[in-house]
Amino acid sequence: MTNMIKVLVYVFLLCASAQGFTANITIKNSSNEPLANAVVWLTASGSTEITVPEAPYAMSQQNREFIPRILVVPQNAKVEFPNADSIMHHVYSFSKAKTFELKLYKEQPKAPIIFDQTGVVELGCNIHDWMLGYIVVVDSTVFAITDENGKANLQTGAGEYTLSVWHSGFSDISNVETKNVIVGTQPLEYKVKQEVAAQIDFATDEFDDY
Amino acid sequence: MIINRTLTFVFLVSILFFSAALHAQVKGLIQVRTVQGDDNTSFQDGGIGLYRHDTKSDELILSQGILDFNVDLASSWSAHGVLNLNQDPDVGLGLTQAYIKYQPLTDSKYKWHVRGGGFYPLMSLENPDIGWTSPYNYTNSAINSWIGEELRTVGIEATLKRPAKRFNSKHSFSFVGATFKGNDPTGTLLAWRGFALHDRQTTFNEGVNIGPIASLNEFDLRWQSGRVLPFEEVDGRFGYYAGVHWDYLKKSQFRVYYYDNNGDPSTVNYSSGQYAWDTRFTSVAWLYKFNSKTRVIAQVLNGETEMGANALIDNAFYSHYLMLSHKEGKHRVSVRYDYFKVTDNDTTAFDPNASHGEGVTATWRYQLSNSWQLGVEGSAIKSFIKNRAASGFAQRISQQQIMLNAQWRF
Repeated sequence: MTNMIKVLVYVFLLCASAQGFTANITIKNSSNEPLANAVVWLTASGSTEITVPEAPYAMSQQNREFIPRILVVPQNAKVEFPNADSIMHHVYSFSKAKTFELKLYKEQPKAPIIFDQTGVVELGCNIHDWMLGYIVVVDSTVFAITDENGKANLQTGAGEYTLSVWHSGFSDISNVETKNVIVGTQPLEYKVKQEVAAQIDFATDEFDDY
Repeated sequence: MIINRTLTFVFLVSILFFSAALHAQVKGLIQVRTVQGDDNTSFQDGGIGLYRHDTKSDELILSQGILDFNVDLASSWSAHGVLNLNQDPDVGLGLTQAYIKYQPLTDSKYKWHVRGGGFYPLMSLENPDIGWTSPYNYTNSAINSWIGEELRTVGIEATLKRPAKRFNSKHSFSFVGATFKGNDPTGTLLAWRGFALHDRQTTFNEGVNIGPIASLNEFDLRWQSGRVLPFEEVDGRFGYYAGVHWDYLKKSQFRVYYYDNNGDPSTVNYSSGQYAWDTRFTSVAWLYKFNSKTRVIAQVLNGETEMGANALIDNAFYSHYLMLSHKEGKHRVSVRYDYFKVTDNDTTAFDPNASHGEGVTATWRYQLSNSWQLGVEGSAIKSFIKNRAASGFAQRISQQQIMLNAQWRF
């Protein structure tokens, strides 16, 4: 009988992981308010191989801004940098996870770059110094960015994971916060320890690079 | 002329030198207009009119023919050039800008770059479009009409910038310093013709007609040509300027510059008829966006100029404008008020330089497509120029002009 129950539980768990399981996560700031635009990802306990999609991710430049502002990719992912503007962008990073520079023209797309190290890559444009973007390279394929209510839904199997949280408002942007969590039926909530600076929006237009 | 050749040479040599990593971005603009001009002959054709056009230009004319080159030389090096084709007062092709820019990639939060060659100091906020044109009015403000015709840096300019985003701040600051040669005759037009309203930029190889000035027939001014060559070097001295840009969220943009061409007023180039004028001024410009559609731009220019031994000519000049521009979909409407004044501070009785005036310019532009734009502009100027009397003209005149423009860019 106990064996029977064990088997049933295993079957149930297997079904759950095979069908995909949604972990509901809410991220809050130190004042207990919902934190939007936080990057969250889950890493299974015990290293497992991650399968990286063959198709490249894209960090484009449009109207002199990076679109998206934050791109999360699994380690070893390919990222291309399409320029939708009619002017050149000179995209660069000095971050440890990836140092590179690309001069980008709309009509001359460059080969994608492989991000083979985890970490936060801060992007700038040498011509438009207000352009700021981030590529967050994670050792997981289970990741999301929180919405305005601080919520993110992650598709994964139930079990033990490391939850990692990052926000561009951290004063040290390489400082990722982590916590061991058990993904089950209960929604998860995490409160970041660091202060999060508010994002400043700039009213830029086509005449501002003069 | 020498400056033009040197610049062209430097420009071409550097392009060849860096040709390994060459990538050129070429943009162009062609703008034609038809003008219901004013009866007073334009200063360009030797008249007293303060517009670029007069009744003689009541036909289709090429008002802007611009080819803008941006050549990517190496990681931090680029070459920029603007070639202008004009048909008034004479058909001519020439460069208005040609410079090399060094902008290194740096891990520092502070950014810096250097420009060397011939270019505009970035003291104004009215002309951010291709080839230093304005996306607002067709006819530039009195201040920028003058900068476009008599002012250009032929030298080296360095900029150190504190970009707001890198500091997670709302404020950006840039500190600019430059030293240059040329620009010695700068100020000539203000003394004799006074301020004007137009969009005719002087190329490095051109001169500008001063107009009918009776005092140029006097003995003391016998060496002065009737045409100013604004970019010529006369006294061999270096000029300089320094400026600060302060942006708040890019919503408010503020620029203040002090410029001094450090001219030696006692020197003259007898063969070209150009004096060195000691011209120095302060320019303050401000742009404020009420929202993404509506903005105001204002600028104030205040300075002095001196020419000839023992302050033969000693003038103060002042101008300001206030412009309101609103963009609604494919439409942009811009209205501007200009005030300008030159005060004669010398005792040279045969050469009065006092002048003042004001102007109103209203422009409507319609963006047909990405490359086509149509627009109409009406403008009126009232001016008083003391030296007109000696040439048999009324000192005080009113002028009006209406124009239709079609613009194509690539």
